[in-house]
Amino acid sequence: MSCEVKNKERVGVINPIFTCQPCGAQFASIGIKDTIGIVHGGQGCVMFVRLLFSQHFKESFELASSSVHEEGAVFGACRRVEEGVDVLLMRYPHVKVIPIISTCSTEIIGDDIDGVVIKLNEGLLKEKYAGREVHLIPIHTPSFVGSMVSGYDIAVRDFVKYFAKKDEPNGKINLFTGWVNPGDVTALKHLLSEMQIDATVLFEIESFDSPLMPDGNHVSHGSTTIEDLRGTANASGTIALNVYEGGKAAKFLEKEFQIPTVIGPTPIGIRNTDTFLQNLKTMTGKPIPESLVRERGLAIDALTDLTHLFFADKRVAIYGNPDLVIGLAEFCLDLEMKPVLLLLGDDNSAYKDDPRIKDLQEKVDYDMQIVTNADFWELENRIKNEGLELDLILGHSKGRFISIDYNIPMFRVGFPTYDRAGMYRHPIVGYAGAIWLAEQMANTLFTDMEYKKNKEWILNVW
Amino acid sequence: MPLHEFECSTCIPERKKHAVDKGPGEDLTSALPEGYLNTIPGSISERGCAYCGAKHVIGTPMKDVIHLSHGPVGCTYDTWQTKRYISDNDNFQLKYTYASDMKEKHIVFGAEKILKQNMIEAFKAFPKIKRMTLYQTCASALIGDDMNAVAQDVMDEMPDVDIFVCNSPGFKGPSQSGGHHTINIAWIKDKVGTVEPKITSDYVINYVGEYNIQGDEVIMQDYFKRMGIQVLSTFTGNGSYDDLRAMHGAHLNVLECARSAEYICNELRVRYGIPRLDIDGFGFEPLSDSLRKVALFFGIEERALQIIKEETARWKPELDWYKERLQGKKICLWPGGSKLWHWAHVIHKEMGLDVVSVYTKFGHQQDMEKGIARCEEGALAIDDPNELETIEAMLKLQPDIIVTGKRPGEVAKKIRVPYLNVHAYHNGPYKGYEGWVRLARDIYNAIYSPIHRLALLDISKDEIPTDKGFATRRMLSDANLNEEIASSSDLRPYTGKYDCLPDYMNHTYPDELRKKPAGDN
Repeated sequence: MSCEVKNKERVGVINPIFTCQPCGAQFASIGIKDTIGIVHGGQGCVMFVRLLFSQHFKESFELASSSVHEEGAVFGACRRVEEGVDVLLMRYPHVKVIPIISTCSTEIIGDDIDGVVIKLNEGLLKEKYAGREVHLIPIHTPSFVGSMVSGYDIAVRDFVKYFAKKDEPNGKINLFTGWVNPGDVTALKHLLSEMQIDATVLFEIESFDSPLMPDGNHVSHGSTTIEDLRGTANASGTIALNVYEGGKAAKFLEKEFQIPTVIGPTPIGIRNTDTFLQNLKTMTGKPIPESLVRERGLAIDALTDLTHLFFADKRVAIYGNPDLVIGLAEFCLDLEMKPVLLLLGDDNSAYKDDPRIKDLQEKVDYDMQIVTNADFWELENRIKNEGLELDLILGHSKGRFISIDYNIPMFRVGFPTYDRAGMYRHPIVGYAGAIWLAEQMANTLFTDMEYKKNKEWILNVW
Repeated sequence: MPLHEFECSTCIPERKKHAVDKGPGEDLTSALPEGYLNTIPGSISERGCAYCGAKHVIGTPMKDVIHLSHGPVGCTYDTWQTKRYISDNDNFQLKYTYASDMKEKHIVFGAEKILKQNMIEAFKAFPKIKRMTLYQTCASALIGDDMNAVAQDVMDEMPDVDIFVCNSPGFKGPSQSGGHHTINIAWIKDKVGTVEPKITSDYVINYVGEYNIQGDEVIMQDYFKRMGIQVLSTFTGNGSYDDLRAMHGAHLNVLECARSAEYICNELRVRYGIPRLDIDGFGFEPLSDSLRKVALFFGIEERALQIIKEETARWKPELDWYKERLQGKKICLWPGGSKLWHWAHVIHKEMGLDVVSVYTKFGHQQDMEKGIARCEEGALAIDDPNELETIEAMLKLQPDIIVTGKRPGEVAKKIRVPYLNVHAYHNGPYKGYEGWVRLARDIYNAIYSPIHRLALLDISKDEIPTDKGFATRRMLSDANLNEEIASSSDLRPYTGKYDCLPDYMNHTYPDELRKKPAGDN
């Protein structure tokens, strides 16, 4: 019985679990109101990321490209950023924030995007856009470092670092949600509201799920404001739910403005939600109300209906964003399941020292493997060639063919999830998320039992 | 033909040359929009990059190949599972994608060593696959890795494998079109002529510029095979690597998408003297003409006529059922590539739709030339449209339907215009006689969707009927239709299956058709 943590041994990637850093920075930037990012690189770095977002949310999001062509690649392409900023400002009068997001190509050719921003601030913005509030924020996200996860973390930090400004205490707490869905933000705000806590939620992305309205709204966009970001310096505390998505920003605020900070845990499952509420209580002095005791009771009730009867000892593989994977694994353990394989899709050296991972290593009572820098072949090869038997896969849509080809039921969770309808609408955090996750996992198993005629009659009397 | 100036683009005057209104009685001599010029940064264009043009559009439909991109992981991930080019080998090329996963240290010290390791690992993981294509990305191009040398090295060590190298970094040219060109030329230069063809018929073609979106190629293959014609290779949908190395063995190159694949046809003509015949698998009449042209080339016209007769009898009543109901509906034909001109006239003639706008993301002037020549008077033609221009156009033109890609489709949805994906298709295939009916069906379903009608209502302002529990498409489409047509027993809606491909794939073809009749030399 052991829990081994190891790096993928192959150097290459067969079916990647993550995309690269600029995607994460783009995801962060669409969360801020009046913001359109310019991705400094080839056009594909934007076009495909926009497609990815539209696959996941079934909505379109605005992001621009500096459209670097050969000439720029050879002679430097800073001029393309200058032109891009001007074109964007001329045509989008509401835009106030333009993150300049670098990519592998423009980092390799050494384009000085910080220098461009200084030049534009001194020149174009003063001359042509005097009196208009414009913020240009260089964000360095070379694609050959980290992954979309670190790209998000860096971008969130850079936004906060740029805007946070010491002023009078605002009595709020900062809540960094990490890379979540609109449904998660709704669930988190519900918990805060029940506790009567005033919080700055970063980011306000409930509006990613946007209605089709008679007045023909065109695009979806987040609604975090510049004021929200400024005020982060004046909060009475910060809670970052995820270590690797938003953790950097939380640490920055702690160091720079001495804001009391709690990082983690991702409130997936009952226990982690309990911890989250305890942290809120400690930080604000507000009690946990009866309404949440009842909500928790509903969740526990729902889980009790499922856990020993259906979940016990079910072998699960989980892949995706690190905080998500760890949170899901912990919840699965509480549900008597056996997460046997966790796949983290990048080479962040912090994973092996993550206390949650160390805890798993010390305490699981069966064989578990955690693979870092993992790709989907780490999963498929174990199933195909090494006899790994699984009852369930938890992860995003890019892994769908493993489930399909090896007849293993899979519940879609994480980003991107484009092969199931409306998943972004449902929370996986909080007590509501615990109910949703557990019941959907159960329903996924039930459907599989019926297709495979595997004790499908057991459901007759449930 | 007056240039069309978008209000949203008055501040970028160069955009004025990229759109025209096709005025009454005017022809192309008065104006043609600029095309294939560098993109204006920050304009929120829809263009992709030359890497995706090479790898994602043309390279990856090759079905029996390990498609490995040399660069950081993003290029690979982002272009994976975003298309619907299927194959008859269980979609190997859709399911598996490979990246050399270049990290910072490789950028500094070079990544040739890990590339080689990568290639060997990939072949080891899939021992039955012996062919590989390596794609350059921005990163590997800029650090100057010699991918050809690494490929040669691996081929020397593994004599049973063959590797194709495509050097088409993302920044090469204004759009994905640069990548189409690069991979065309690289393939003919490096691979055509390296395998001898297995000839099984006296009539041999390469089917070029066909990507088997949702099975287009399967339907078209059926027609060719019914005429006794051997399709030696398909470039590249459902195409096999080694078949494509033998392209030089064909008698004729039958070219579907001239935008993305005319380059290789032109080279095959220069180098091997194989003529190029441009065809069009969309629309009954263009398709019938195309089949006849191909047959005429081989002197077997009667075989084409037979197919045309059978297929038209089978499917025309269904096409016409939709045509009657789509008459006069306005369509924005915004597909991106060659469908711009493949559809511009025939969608009007055969489905009754009025084309109010055409656009191209990555096309060149000659694509626009063909599109404008064929579309309706009054249509707005846009080159490299950007986000604000498409919104302005939609609001001004008030189309009944927009056919475009996935993401712009989401924008159309919000403006309450039904959208159809014509890159990856909604429920294709759309080529062939049956496919064309499926397109008409999908357009009809979109336009007459009861939910779309509900979307047009504002419950706070409009008079809301309170006596209706539901509507059907038929109730909506036939409301103002002539009674005789509405109840005609000569016409009928689509009768095919959800997945129509297995029936085509189960066809058998008489051997004798593949031999020229005696005395016919």
